[in-house]
Amino acid sequence: MGLLDPPGFRRNRHGQVWMHLQQGERQLVAQLLDQLAELLAPPEPRQPVDPLEELVGIDPGAVRPADPALARLFPDAYTDPEAADEFRRFTQRDLRTGKLAHLELVRATLERKDPTRLSPDEADAWLRTLNDLRLTLGTRLAVSEDGPQPFLDLDEDDPRRGMYLVYDWLTYHQDRLVHALEKGAPR
Amino acid sequence: MSVAPVEDVEVADRSEVETPWVCIVWNDPVNLMSYVTYVFMTYFGYPRDKAEQLMLEVHQEGRAIVASGNRDAMERDVTAMHSYGLWATVSRSQ
Repeated sequence: MGLLDPPGFRRNRHGQVWMHLQQGERQLVAQLLDQLAELLAPPEPRQPVDPLEELVGIDPGAVRPADPALARLFPDAYTDPEAADEFRRFTQRDLRTGKLAHLELVRATLERKDPTRLSPDEADAWLRTLNDLRLTLGTRLAVSEDGPQPFLDLDEDDPRRGMYLVYDWLTYHQDRLVHALEKGAPR
Repeated sequence: MSVAPVEDVEVADRSEVETPWVCIVWNDPVNLMSYVTYVFMTYFGYPRDKAEQLMLEVHQEGRAIVASGNRDAMERDVTAMHSYGLWATVSRSQ
């Protein structure tokens, strides 16, 4: 993959996944990661923390997030609200930790020389983090299956228009990455 | 080491044993069709045909049962789907 190739993710003939992003694109992703990390940051722990609960990863204070974007990142696992709340207390902390770990793996790849080869773990972290960013922006924008037109019809200075262009950029690159990872997989 | 007296052994409710649980994935406007197919192939190990068929069922019907089994296994699957950003729930098979 050379610097003249279009930016994005690509699988080479040896089966390696490479990433090439322009400087401005790296900066954009880094800013989005900062915002997502802030959104995902765990709430202040209750004092005192029960050492046994801490050890087994139970979060007795875990509730359905009020923020719709967070509620989409941490959805109910049961349609019954009581069962969903119970399950959340046992799983939400690990899910949050996992998302933050993927985010940090992605952040580390942005600091390397461009273009850069992604390990399978890094490619997986990119895939999931691109999706978390799209879920967050998509929820904020209330995207539907009607396509891009409603957003392209917005005034030039409407902030949602710019946000949609970012969302669209993330969508394009996530799709490219899926195909890079699939190429060569048995069909 | 001791052996629990027989009367203390909990006998699992038969319906609990026989009624499998399911993992349901729900449609949403953000997740890409290519990504959902990829997740079904990668996580469940489904062949492409089956993964695509399930993805289309989610997309067109609004939901699809993507796995079934005991409750613990379905809770693990749903947690994995949430980690991929898919919207999934556990429920008792109808």
